[in-house]
Amino acid sequence: MTTDIGDARIRIPDQIKRGDLITVNAIVSHPMDTGFFRTPEGNPIPAYFIRDVVVTYGGQEVARFEWTSGISRDPVVSFTLKADKEAPLSMVWSDNKGAIFKHSVLISFGSA
Amino acid sequence: MNHRRAFFRSCLVSAAGLLAARSERLLASTRLVVDPNDPEVPNEEVARILKGLFGDRPIRRGHVALDMPLVAEDGRVVPVIIESDLPMSSQHHVKAVHLIVDHNPDAHLAAFHLTPAIGSVAISTRIKMKRTTWVRAILETNTGEVWADYARVQVTLNGCG
Repeated sequence: MTTDIGDARIRIPDQIKRGDLITVNAIVSHPMDTGFFRTPEGNPIPAYFIRDVVVTYGGQEVARFEWTSGISRDPVVSFTLKADKEAPLSMVWSDNKGAIFKHSVLISFGSA
Repeated sequence: MNHRRAFFRSCLVSAAGLLAARSERLLASTRLVVDPNDPEVPNEEVARILKGLFGDRPIRRGHVALDMPLVAEDGRVVPVIIESDLPMSSQHHVKAVHLIVDHNPDAHLAAFHLTPAIGSVAISTRIKMKRTTWVRAILETNTGEVWADYARVQVTLNGCG
């Protein structure tokens, strides 16, 4: 499977009850170049990496990550969230060239 | 989770022997580190980062578990898990977790700013490591306390170029 830079996925549990502490897994496709490597032809590969990640839940910022190119290619991150309302969970990844990548999932509670 | 904790403890036990051999040198190290079993501050860069983040506050060991492999064959992809038993209430919570890799080109690798809405500190990601070194996970609470855990990771393949 090929992916474009900025393609993102957020994985949350299938069944969520109000008040659950859920684990959120997120991945975004990005080269995360450090600026220290060269191409096989010897040309330097400039630094190109995600440096800011903002997590919002129902429009409220719940976490913010400052990254460097020391995060591995196609960055993954997981964290917990207290699921206390039915609302979108959104993440915005920003890279050092000014590109912004967004993805959202809806936190909703089963009727069971 | 239990497996990870058990692994984490086994890491600590193996690290203890290494630390004992170095304790004399560690005792003489910078005052930024308060516990003789803590890794010494290896260079100006790390000293500057710690001073900038935490000032003169003591960096105590506890309330954080940094879980990493003892040996990382590929320095381009090294898993990291950071957990804490500290509360995440509006009165008392962890407001930031800092990840510092002593001998990486950009030693202050990541900062995770948190709010009580996330409910607990359980962060995982994957990082690059240039060579064998100490990794520091240091968290700061909203009341100004600073807690840390350390892991020494042996790196076989340089992941930073």
